Amino acid sequence: MRPKPPRSVETRHYEERDALFAGLRRMSRRSFFRLAGLSAGLAMAKGLVTPHAFQLVEVAGAQEDGTARKPFTFAYISDTHLYPRTLNDRFVRAIVKAVDDVNNLDPQPAFVLMGGDLAQLGKREELELGRDILKGVKAPVRMMVGEHDWFFDMGEHWKALFGPEQYSFDHEGVHFVTVMSVQEKDFWTARGLTPEERMQIVAGLDNGIQSRFEVGEAGREWLKNDLADVPKTTPIVVFSHSPLYRYYRPWNFWTEDADEVQAILQPFERVTVIHGHTHQLLSNRIGNIDFHGMLSTAWPWPYAPEGLPKLTIQQNRADPFSQFDGCGDGTVDVLENGLVNTLYNLWDRNPVTVRASYLASGGTRDAPPRARFPSY
Amino acid sequence: MRCRRVPIVLCVAVAGTAPAAPPEKLPLGVSRGLWALSVPEGAVTPERVALGEKLFNDTRLSLNDAVACATCHDPKLAFTDHKPRSEGVGGKEHRTQRNSPTVVNAMFNATQFWDGRAPSLEEQAKLPITNPIEMGMKSLDDVVAKVRAIPEYREPFRNAFGRAPTIDDVVTAIAAFERTQFSGDAPFDRFLAGDGEAIDASAKRGWALFNGRGRCNTCHAFGAVSPLFSDQRFHNIGIAAHETDFIALARRATGIVRSGDLKQIDELAIESELTELGRFLVTKHSNDIGAFKTPTLRNVAATAPYMHDGSLATLWDVMDHYNKGGIPNPNLDGGMQRLGLTEAEIDDMVAFMASLTSPQFATLAQTEMRKQRARKHVRPERDTAAAMGKKGDLGDIAPPPDPANPAPFGVIVTHETAYAPQAAPKR
Amino acid sequence: MTRTPLALAAVAALALAGGALAPPGGAPRPAPPRHDAPPSPGGNVVVALCDGETTAEIPGVREGETPTPAQARDVAARLMAAWRAEHPDVAWDDGTGRTATGDASAGRLAQAEPRTQRQRGGAAGSAGAGGLPSGEQGELQRGHTYKAFSERDEQIWKLETEKFVREGHRVFHDAKAVGGTIGVSCDMCHPDAANTHPETYPKFQVQIGRVALLRDMINWCIQNPSRGKPLPEDDPRLKAMEAYILAQRQGTPIDYGKH
Repeated sequence: MRPKPPRSVETRHYEERDALFAGLRRMSRRSFFRLAGLSAGLAMAKGLVTPHAFQLVEVAGAQEDGTARKPFTFAYISDTHLYPRTLNDRFVRAIVKAVDDVNNLDPQPAFVLMGGDLAQLGKREELELGRDILKGVKAPVRMMVGEHDWFFDMGEHWKALFGPEQYSFDHEGVHFVTVMSVQEKDFWTARGLTPEERMQIVAGLDNGIQSRFEVGEAGREWLKNDLADVPKTTPIVVFSHSPLYRYYRPWNFWTEDADEVQAILQPFERVTVIHGHTHQLLSNRIGNIDFHGMLSTAWPWPYAPEGLPKLTIQQNRADPFSQFDGCGDGTVDVLENGLVNTLYNLWDRNPVTVRASYLASGGTRDAPPRARFPSY
Repeated sequence: MRCRRVPIVLCVAVAGTAPAAPPEKLPLGVSRGLWALSVPEGAVTPERVALGEKLFNDTRLSLNDAVACATCHDPKLAFTDHKPRSEGVGGKEHRTQRNSPTVVNAMFNATQFWDGRAPSLEEQAKLPITNPIEMGMKSLDDVVAKVRAIPEYREPFRNAFGRAPTIDDVVTAIAAFERTQFSGDAPFDRFLAGDGEAIDASAKRGWALFNGRGRCNTCHAFGAVSPLFSDQRFHNIGIAAHETDFIALARRATGIVRSGDLKQIDELAIESELTELGRFLVTKHSNDIGAFKTPTLRNVAATAPYMHDGSLATLWDVMDHYNKGGIPNPNLDGGMQRLGLTEAEIDDMVAFMASLTSPQFATLAQTEMRKQRARKHVRPERDTAAAMGKKGDLGDIAPPPDPANPAPFGVIVTHETAYAPQAAPKR
Repeated sequence: MTRTPLALAAVAALALAGGALAPPGGAPRPAPPRHDAPPSPGGNVVVALCDGETTAEIPGVREGETPTPAQARDVAARLMAAWRAEHPDVAWDDGTGRTATGDASAGRLAQAEPRTQRQRGGAAGSAGAGGLPSGEQGELQRGHTYKAFSERDEQIWKLETEKFVREGHRVFHDAKAVGGTIGVSCDMCHPDAANTHPETYPKFQVQIGRVALLRDMINWCIQNPSRGKPLPEDDPRLKAMEAYILAQRQGTPIDYGKH
C-alpha cells in the first residue's frame, strides 16, 4: 500500500478554511469567532502566510521604476454579487479566492476596500453571507455600497450591517472619501413595483427602465461639506461605485451629475476616483482627476460599444470556460505624491498595472500591455 | 481492420527518390493537414530516416556509452521507459526531474518538452545529449567528434547529407526518424470513421463525458484536422503543487533564470527543484508558474506513469486528480474545478482513454491496463467529498451528458479528413 | 383666402414630418399662435413650421397649387433640418433610436425592449438586383407570388418577427427560462447581446475545440456559465435567442471565422 503523499501547504490551508465554513452553518456568533480565530491562528503558527503570485510584479515594478517609496498600499475586492449559497456556489468560490489572495499578501495592505455590489439581489441572506466571508480578511475592511446592495430595501439592511453609506477618513496624509453614487430618481412608485421587482430591474444592466445613477443633490452637499476644510494640496481618493463620469448611458456606466461632482473635486491638486460597477479594466483622466475601475470577482462585463475612454487599454476577451477569467481582485499603491498605481490581479492571466504616470502623460508613457482579443 | 505500419523507407523507395510529402496512405486518425503544418519541406528522406534510427538507438552518443535516446524512449515500451522520472548517466542517485514523454506523434507537437523549451524536434534532440545527467556529453562539439570517429557512420552521413557529420545533421537525422513514428487506427479512430462497434458502450459513455461534464476537450482538444487530443498550450493543473511552495520558488527563479539561455533552462528543468515551475522557466510570466504542456492522449494506456513528474501511476489516479479539481494553488488554471464524476463514470472515461491505443501498442497497453486494473482499489489521489462538492468551494458542475449525443456542440467533420472512411462503413 | 392653402400646407407638412396634430374633440383650446410667413420673392408657396419661426418655400409651386407628395416630403425634411440646425442641443427622437444630437443612448431610455427592425425609409425599400427604388419610376411587375404582397403583409411580418425577437430577449434575460440552475443569465456577460459576435460564425470555437455555429455556442454557454441542460436543436427557446442575438447586430457585415 503506497503511503499517502504529503498534503501541500495549500491543501491544508483549504481544509482549515473549510472547517471555518462548516462552522458557519452552525451559526452561533460565539462559535463562529472561535473558529475564525482558530483558523487564522493555525495559519499563522504554521507559517502558511505565503506571498502571493501577483506580488512578483510589484517587486519587479519597484526595481524597474526606481520609485523610492510607496507610502502604502490598499487592496480591493469588488462586485462579488453573492446569491444565497444554496442557489449559487460559484460566486462564493470567487470571493473566497479573493479573500485568500488578499490574506496572502506580504506585506499586508493598510486596508481592504470592498467596492460595492456585495450581494446580487440585496437580500439579507446575501449581505450576511458576504459579511461573514469578509470577516476572514485579516486587514481592516472598508465597505462601499453598490446598487445591488441598496435597491431591495433602500439600504436599510446595508446600513444596519456596515454603517453609513457616505463617510471619509484620512490615512498617511491622504483624504479618503466614500460617496454613494448609485442613487436613482424614483422609477418604481409610479409603476407600482414591489421591492423585488424594483431590485430585479436595477439588477439588469440593459433594460433601460431604471433611472441613471447619480450622487444626487444631498450627496453632493455632503461631499462639499466634507471637503470644505481639506486643503487643496491634500491628495484626495474618492471611493465611488459608479464611475463618476459618463461612459455608456444605456448600461448605467454613468453618473448623471458627473459634471457637478467633478466640479466639486476640480479645485484639488490631485484627485483619484476608484470605482466599481464596470467589472473591467477601465482607466480615464478628466482634467486633474484620475479614474481607476476595479475588477469584479463574479463575472466580467464586455466593453461598451461606444464611449470608451481613450486612455483605457482593454483587457482581453473573457473565456467562459473558466469562471475566473476576466475576473480578479487587486491592489492600489498610493504613491508619495498621493496619486495611485492600480494593479489588476486578473485571475488566470498576468497582472496588469495602470500607473498614474500613464494617465498623467495622456497615454504616452508607461502604457500597460495591449489586448490581443478585445471585446467587440 | 488491422493496419500494419509499413516502414516509410519501403513506401518511398517504391515511389521514387523524391523527398516525402505525406505518404499516400496515412492511418485513420493521422491528419494530412496537421502533417503539412508540422513537417518541413524535404525534412524526411529514406536515407535520413535510416541514419536517424541508428543514431536514436546508439548508446555511444552518451558520455559513458550506456545511454541512448532509446534508453528513455524505448521503442518496445511505446517510446517511453515506464519510470516516473527517467534515469540517464546519473543513474538512480541523480535521476532527472521529469517523466519521459513518448516520441509517438511528438512530431505533431507545436513545441517539444513538457515546458515547450524546444521549438522543434531538431532543437529537442540537442538538449538531452548534452545534459549532465541525461546523456552527459560535455558539448555539442564533443558529440560531433565522437560521431566522426565512428567509421560505420561515414557512409550513411555522406548518403544522407553529402558531407561529414555536423551536429545539425545528427539532429536532423534523428528528427527524420522521429517523423516516422506516428500512429492512428485506434479503435476510437475506427469508431469515428463510422464503425459503430469499434468501441464498447462504456467507452462511448466516456467519450460523451469527455465532451461534457468531464470538461476534457478544451485542453485535450480533439478535432478531425488536429486529432492530437492536445491544445499544445500550457496549464497549471496543480500537479506541481503536491509538495511545493510555489511562490518562494518563483522568487528565486526570477533572479536565477536568464531568459533565452536554453541550456541553462534545460538544466534547471531536468536537474533542479525549479523544475516544478514548468513553463515559467521559459517565459518568466507569473501566469505560467507551474504550467506544463497538455500532452497527447493517444496511446496513453501504454505510456504510464503520468504527468510531468510521473507522479500519477494509473489512469484512475489521473481521473481522481481531475475529479477533485486538481490541487489548489494560487496559479491553478481557471478551467480546473471539481467534476462530480461517479466511480462508474470514471471507469467509462478510462475505457475511452484506453480506446485511443493504436494496434502496434495494443499488447503493451493490455498488459499495462491489467496492472492498473489490479490496483484499482488503491486510490491515493481520490477525494470524493471534494469531487462531490461536500467540502470546499471547488466549482459547480454541468448536467449529465446525453450519451446519444456524445459531442453535443460543434461538428466533427469526417469528410475529406483523417476520418474519411477507407472502406465502406460497418454498422 | 390666400392664407388657407398656406395653413393647409403647413399642417400637411407637419403630418408628414411626424409631428402631432391637435387632439380630436375635447375642451375648447386657446387659439394657436399665428405664424405670418414672409412671402417668397419668386412667388412660390411658403410653408411655415409650427415653431412660429422656421419657413421654407417649395420652388415651382405657386399659391393655390397643390404640391406633389415628393415635394411635400422634401419641404418637410428641409423644415426639420432647418429647425434642428437652430436647436442643436435638443434631444429630438425621430423614432429611429437616434437623437438629433446623434446620441443613440438617450433615445432608448424609455425602452425595456430589444432593438428590433429599424425604420426603413419607405416600405417598398430597394428591390433586389436592380437596386432601383421600386415604387418611384416605371411600372411594377405583377404576379401572384412575391409581387402580390402588400404593405399590410410586411407590417404583419414585421410584427411577427419582432415578437420572436422579444421572446428571445425574454429568455436571454432570465436564468430560469433558459434552464440555468445557478442564477446566471446570458445578459450578465452579454448586455444587449454585446460580445456575442454572431456574424463571425461558423468558426473554430476554442472552448468546444471544433468548428461551431452560433447555436452551438449558445448551448455551450447554457451548459457552462449558466449550468443548465443544453437545449435540443429544435427548441424554440434556442431559436428565439439566436434571433434576438442576430437582431442586435443589424447591419454588421458577415465575417465568418473571425476571432
